[in-house]
Amino acid sequence: MHEIISEIVDSVDFKGIRCIKGYNEIARDYSSYLCDESKLAHQGAQYLFFPANEGELSAIFQEMAKRDVKITISGARTGLVGGAVPYGGAIVSLEKFDKILGLRYDNRLKEWLVKAECGVTIRDLNNWAMKKVFPGLSEGGSAETKAFLERYKESKTTYFYPPDPTEMGAALGGTVSTNASGARTYRYGPTRNWVRCIRVMLASGEVLEIPRGKCFATPAGEFTIIDSKGNETGVKIPRHTMPSTKNAAGIFSAPNMDLIDLFIGSEGIFGAITEVEIALQKWHNPVSIVQFLPSDDKAIDSVVALRKEKSIRPEFIEFYSSHALDLLRNKQDEDPKVVGMPPIPDYAKSAVFFDLRFDPESKDNDYSKLEEIVCTCGSTLAKSWAGYEQRDLERFKNFRHVLPETVNSIIAERKKKIPELYKLGTDLAVPDQALEKIWAFYKSKLEKAGLEWVAFGHIGNNHIHINIIPRSLEEMKEGLSIYREFAKKAVSLGGTISAEHGIGKIKKEFFSIMFSDKELKEMKAVKIALDPGLILNPGNMLNI
Amino acid sequence: MIADRYNKISVNLRRSVAEKLVKMKILICVKQVPEITDVKINPETGTLIREGVDSILNPFCEYAVEMGLELERHYGDIETVAISMGPPQASSALIRCLEMGVDRATLLADMRFAGSDTWATAFTLAQAIRAMEGDFDLILVGKQAIDGDTAQVGPELSEILGIPQIMYAVSVELTGNKKKIRAKREIETGNEIMEIKLPGLVSLSKGPMIRSVSSFKEILDARKKELRVATASDLNIDENELGLGGSLTQVVKIFPPQVKKTGKLVDGSEPQGAAKKLIGFLRERKFV
Ligand SMILES: Cc1cc2nc3c(=O)[nH]c(=O)nc-3n(C[C@H](O)[C@H](O)[C@H](O)COP(=O)(O)OP(=O)(O)OC[C@H]3O[C@@H](n4cnc5c(N)ncnc54)[C@H](O)[C@@H]3O)c2cc1C
Ligand SMILES: Cc1cc2nc3c(=O)[nH]c(=O)nc-3n(C[C@H](O)[C@H](O)[C@H](O)COP(=O)(O)OP(=O)(O)OC[C@H]3O[C@@H](n4cnc5c(N)ncnc54)[C@H](O)[C@@H]3O)c2cc1C
Repeated sequence: MHEIISEIVDSVDFKGIRCIKGYNEIARDYSSYLCDESKLAHQGAQYLFFPANEGELSAIFQEMAKRDVKITISGARTGLVGGAVPYGGAIVSLEKFDKILGLRYDNRLKEWLVKAECGVTIRDLNNWAMKKVFPGLSEGGSAETKAFLERYKESKTTYFYPPDPTEMGAALGGTVSTNASGARTYRYGPTRNWVRCIRVMLASGEVLEIPRGKCFATPAGEFTIIDSKGNETGVKIPRHTMPSTKNAAGIFSAPNMDLIDLFIGSEGIFGAITEVEIALQKWHNPVSIVQFLPSDDKAIDSVVALRKEKSIRPEFIEFYSSHALDLLRNKQDEDPKVVGMPPIPDYAKSAVFFDLRFDPESKDNDYSKLEEIVCTCGSTLAKSWAGYEQRDLERFKNFRHVLPETVNSIIAERKKKIPELYKLGTDLAVPDQALEKIWAFYKSKLEKAGLEWVAFGHIGNNHIHINIIPRSLEEMKEGLSIYREFAKKAVSLGGTISAEHGIGKIKKEFFSIMFSDKELKEMKAVKIALDPGLILNPGNMLNI
Repeated sequence: MIADRYNKISVNLRRSVAEKLVKMKILICVKQVPEITDVKINPETGTLIREGVDSILNPFCEYAVEMGLELERHYGDIETVAISMGPPQASSALIRCLEMGVDRATLLADMRFAGSDTWATAFTLAQAIRAMEGDFDLILVGKQAIDGDTAQVGPELSEILGIPQIMYAVSVELTGNKKKIRAKREIETGNEIMEIKLPGLVSLSKGPMIRSVSSFKEILDARKKELRVATASDLNIDENELGLGGSLTQVVKIFPPQVKKTGKLVDGSEPQGAAKKLIGFLRERKFV
């Protein structure tokens, strides 16, 4: 089926909805709604709304459309590309959509599903799933939900929600509209793979409920949306091929694609996601391992080998380049407590960090294949750090986070002298077979330029973050031009210009490296079909 | 061939005799505790709420293990043995010791040990050491367990075994041809250096600022080391001296201390006036 009907929601008097009016008041008392983690400069806003249900949201959409006021949808504003930063008009914060709506076991899919409003954070969702307490469900849920909740609690298995964007304060709706990824994407795929149903409010104020597996594009690549009055809107999907990597650039496209995938990752330009149903996955106790290696190249070799060996199934594989370890060593000299780990050994010239399933009770854990790989790459399992107690898992996770934080603090310090400086962080990914090539390219360019840089991140997905830390404006200029070269190279190798942060407002200049004018036009056509007044999220992703 | 083999055996024999002669033995008593920063007590039963709380090796015991291993690294030829009395699941605290580098471990687990107070705990540990370890040179313990918090087990153990003790050590060294141990200990007014003859007992109140991390190899190898589980029957001990029956004290009630708000705050926004008020107050109470 390629047709879907949108519904009207119970209407609400617009005047009763909580709203902060005027730029001055917003800037004075609600300034955090004007920015996100990208720190991109906003262009002001006249209204800030806090709708608490679909009725209110619908009334806002309709009233703003009447007044021709553009709307910026605001989640938890942890985005890194300015998606939630307003360029005038109204800000609609969805933070009041914070309820858990249901829990059920799907017999056909053989999985547990949780339904929640879009404002629930990923941190809460995971805590609730793992601790098996869902606030409000046991009191407010239906009899059926209560029965499922009992069954879920009684089950000996622990479940979790795999998508783990490093910033767990992100809202569910935000992560769905950016198709957020994280370290675990290596094993479990991005957010897209875990979304089973969404409700989306279109610019018209009507709502689409889109379960996965019900509404597919015709062979000619079309969907038809029929509104409550019977008006039909045809949507023709773009024809570009998606990179075979993890990807957050551009809207999704595939032959006979599912309509739900058009909205996932569309950065809120087609509608506001109000509810999401996601699937949970069985949790296994892990051991975290930081394996030290004698060089960056050996670390790359170890990743290639780890991926090939099917009996070893890491939850994720992360990377610390030689320069990254040096930066952490400096940090340890300054304040060992911040890093929270013993001194990084002198022999360590790079490291890979991964989690493996581990049973602390078992005597016959067999990790001989891992040992072989590590030895082939010039190291031994004795040259590693490992831990499996909860407090150690947290400590290792922190060890992963201190690196970007350290880079940020260096930049902040330099900014005091040169305010125009900022960090140049790449978000490029390439297909598996291109990992060694892109690494060699990165390294040769950076070393030739003599810039200060570190590399780290999701190497399992060939998604290495290169952070250039400029010391002067000249270096920043040079860094920017190198960044462009990297983006071109990644795309030429079949990769993406944005693996997880999205395009938003600040990565648009790279968009044209990846997509032709024709392809961009096709994306714009979808936007115009779904939001003819161009009301939603102005400035995001597409220039129209 | 045969001669060869005999030779080897005699060499081995000689070596084991020699080892007996020179190898020091350090026993480290460790306790498993709930990982708690904020202790919650069930008001009805007066016991700790342990549900949903992870169990860890008591941090002060970890310092004792670190110190034992440090001595081994520094002086060589030292055997380290971890001993714990606790329920079967306390074996995970001992495995942690083995991962850190301790040579072998013994868990004293028996329903008959349940309900031990600090005396019964110390007595059981002492009997286990006598029955199973025989000669030893040094016992290391933590300053206190972060759940029971009494800091009594160490001193009691040394009294029962009749060996000298140093409490609250922050650093130690072996002296007198490894026949003595000298420790720096924390006291209220500063530090004190104390030396005792071995065999003796030292409790540790400080360790490295950052907890050590094991390698994955150490974690895997730890599971192949000796972890013996002993019961009351393995100890030469009278049933009456065990567990609840062997306890000299009984916890009648546990309650959080009442917070007394008797402090007096002097407004410091105007420093000179504040100083005058303060002096007046001190004079009134005859402090100055
Ligand atoms: C330290 C740090 C680390 C990060 N690491 C990662 C990472 O590893 N992987 C990753 O993918 N991202 C990462 N991010 C980026 C960010 O956390 C994610 O993009 C997240 O998905 C954004 O969620 P949010 O609720 O904060 O959305 P916002 O920032 O509020 O919004 C993001 C975009 O989605 C739109 N939007 C928000 N809610 C909705 C909705 N309900 N319906 C329609 N559109 C909506 C907004 O208009 C905006 O365009 C990181 C951010 C930080 C600060
Ligand atoms: C007020 C109070 C109430 C209690 N209530 C109960 C109760 O209701 N039920 C119950 O079962 N228990 C109870 N106990 C527990 C029991 O009495 C103590 O845990 C035990 O005797 C050790 O005392 P501690 O924890 O104070 O250790 P401390 O004396 O503080 O420990 C110092 C050191 O002694 C060593 N050590 C201590 N215990 C052991 C051990 N078991 N094995 C090896 N080494 C050890 C360690 O090196 C430790 O670092 C209670 C204890 C107290 C103080």
